Amino acid sequence: MKYNPETNLVGEGVKFERIRRITGYLVGTVDRFNDGKRAEERDRVKHCTAK
Amino acid sequence: MLTSIVKRDGRVVIYDRNKIKMAVLKAMEACNNTDFEKADEIAVAVEDYFNSKKTDNTPSVEEIQDRVEIELMSHGLEAVAKHYILYRASRSNIRERNTKLMQVFDEITFSDAVDSDVKRENANIDGDTPMGTMLKYGSEGAKDYYLKFLLSPDQAQAHKDGYIHIHDFDFYALTTTCCQIDLIKLFKGGFSTGHGFLREPNDIQSYSALACIAIQSNQNDQHGGQSIVNFDYGLADGVKKTYRKLYLKNIAKVGEVLGEDISYDQIKEISMDVTEKCGAIPTITPNAEYIKLELEALKKVFKDPENAVKAQNFALKKTEEETDKATYQAMEALIHNLNTMHSRAGAQTPFSSINYGMDTSDEGRMIMKNVLLATEAGLGHGETPIFPIQIFRVKEGVNYNPGDKNYDLFQLAIKVSAKRLFPNFSFQDAPFNLKYYNPKDVRTEVGYMGCRTRVVGNTYDPENEITYGRGNLSFTSINLPRLAIEAKGNEDVFYNSLKKYIDLCVKQLLDRFAIQKKKKVKNFPFLMGQGVWLGSDNLGYDDEVGEVLKHGTLSVGFIGLAEALTALYGKHHGESEESQKKGLEIIGYMRKVLDDYSEKYKLNFSLLATPAEGLSGRFVRMDKKRFGEIKGITDKEYYTNSFHVPVAYEISAFDKINIEAPYHELTNGGHITYVELDGDISQNLEAFESVVRCMKEAGIGYGAINHPVDRDPVCGYNGIIGDVCPRCGRRDGEGVSLEKLQKLGLYKHLNASTLGQCGNQLEEADRIPNSL
Repeated sequence: MKYNPETNLVGEGVKFERIRRITGYLVGTVDRFNDGKRAEERDRVKHCTAK
Repeated sequence: MLTSIVKRDGRVVIYDRNKIKMAVLKAMEACNNTDFEKADEIAVAVEDYFNSKKTDNTPSVEEIQDRVEIELMSHGLEAVAKHYILYRASRSNIRERNTKLMQVFDEITFSDAVDSDVKRENANIDGDTPMGTMLKYGSEGAKDYYLKFLLSPDQAQAHKDGYIHIHDFDFYALTTTCCQIDLIKLFKGGFSTGHGFLREPNDIQSYSALACIAIQSNQNDQHGGQSIVNFDYGLADGVKKTYRKLYLKNIAKVGEVLGEDISYDQIKEISMDVTEKCGAIPTITPNAEYIKLELEALKKVFKDPENAVKAQNFALKKTEEETDKATYQAMEALIHNLNTMHSRAGAQTPFSSINYGMDTSDEGRMIMKNVLLATEAGLGHGETPIFPIQIFRVKEGVNYNPGDKNYDLFQLAIKVSAKRLFPNFSFQDAPFNLKYYNPKDVRTEVGYMGCRTRVVGNTYDPENEITYGRGNLSFTSINLPRLAIEAKGNEDVFYNSLKKYIDLCVKQLLDRFAIQKKKKVKNFPFLMGQGVWLGSDNLGYDDEVGEVLKHGTLSVGFIGLAEALTALYGKHHGESEESQKKGLEIIGYMRKVLDDYSEKYKLNFSLLATPAEGLSGRFVRMDKKRFGEIKGITDKEYYTNSFHVPVAYEISAFDKINIEAPYHELTNGGHITYVELDGDISQNLEAFESVVRCMKEAGIGYGAINHPVDRDPVCGYNGIIGDVCPRCGRRDGEGVSLEKLQKLGLYKHLNASTLGQCGNQLEEADRIPNSL
């Protein structure tokens, strides 16, 4: 985590970590998914729990 | 008569003297030789040579060119010959460079993973590192070789054309997929990893470290995941041993503090005598007989018998919590270890999974509680651990209902999963799992691999219908949407096609098995050499492993049932009851064919709902090229996984679970159902539990719940992050002011050189600058 004394800001360029499940395994960032799985993850909708 | 020649690609074409002439003329020009009649002479000489040969064989381009070189030299045109040869060599090089393999190597070498789909085939390998790249070279080279030399032409064609996909093709001639490791069996008497012997461990720390070593060592022998089938039972022994050690140490310490002249060794000897008399050792739930006998013996050796009472009471009171702490640390270390060791081909951590849930002993429960708590706490900066994949075995009577002994652990599992995405849940009561279960034999508890592979039935050896020591040998998947599109709505055509490709896959699996069978124990120094695989402990170093490998599964998988149903019937099974009926018929049919093959060969053919990482994109890309964009089928960049309802289809969790559940029964090689939940589900554990219970009641075999798990490394916030971090307010990639962070209690002392690099934000806030 870099502190930039010029701007007085911390964390420039630091991305959020988004853990997602791919083929059963957790991966810390979508960047390493192949194109097919990335597209699928984008499409995923949520399922409501009301019966 | 020289009338035809054979080109490099095998085609036979008409011989043309001019081609030789032109090639020679080119070479001549390069040496400023302008004797053009000579070029014609050379061509004629080459013709004469082949015409005079006795054989009828059509000469190849290479043979013609070889002859040209000889004729050039024998006609005194050495300089021309030299240019001709050099030009020929450079053409060869260019051809070589343009082959598919070399183009792939180009991409591996020069593209960044962000631009190269090839480099992102496996999300857990960093394709940009040297080891990751080297692994890719080896992998692509091996695949090229196998395609050319080890597959039959129809198999190679079907794989290349995208009708089937042979998985882990790069390991085709090398090994098998995965194994469920029995820790109790492995640890008994100690084991070796090939570099020295590891004694049977004696405390929970060693048990935990050795469990990681076992996974790592086995990962070097196989290309797939590694799972511990009995994480609770297996490590419980470690807790037992630690408890006993700490208990006796406590007695000795109290004795010393109270001025007694007695050593730990003496206490230990007394304890062993007592154990011999009554058969019990010091345990978390004390054995009354042992306590009584030990106290009597201690009173005899302590100067003041009251001290003996004090010492034993202290030990009885304190040892459990010390053991608990030690167990927690061991579980924390295990999780850290499994998230950081890069020992699969030097480029990634092993795919590790652990199964637990059914051990009701004090020690087993202590293991489970602590691995869950350590998972909840996360890694060094609170990050969500990616490994091991944890699978909680849900079972009525053991942990499912209030009143069940391990119900508290089921609740804890739900709490942790709602935060960390693990554990996943396997359901022992699903009818197809329950039928193997014998309460008297823990080996009949079904174990899943994290990826979903399931091995329990055993046609080869019905006496051994267990998960322990078994796994998958290889798997090949069928492109269902392709077959459905080509059938043009005709069910009979589709089923004929399906049968044809199942038959092809079975033949291919058997061919691959034929190679695997001939391997020897020494090719699997850990998996077989240490007796991890079922039946391998009876084999010698140079013995072939064929027979014992038969315990493994040969799986035919599939992808895209949803798209296939859309192609055949217009709707997928999420949106139409009729399609659901048809879907079950198709998958049911595949299962029947494989069951018949199992009976025929007395092997374990199984139907797998393929996990499909790289495959999800490969098939649809090829089909889009072949058939164009077909709505609902090839208009996405991926095919829907196995029998899943399409991820973009709006459906309730309840409906999705009930639609997918019957497919679990049919896919005996492995299956999973996912539900996507919104919001911060850790705030609504009831909803989470209701989903798990719905899975259990619907007959799901293995299920998991997905929910967003985000973290901001700058302020440490763990939870849901949309565009803006709820704690510090920054956006992705943006900086946030130091003042703002300090107001939140972070970076209070602005130790700029270590800001965020050592420790965590909360600890950093406490640092006081050191005065000089």
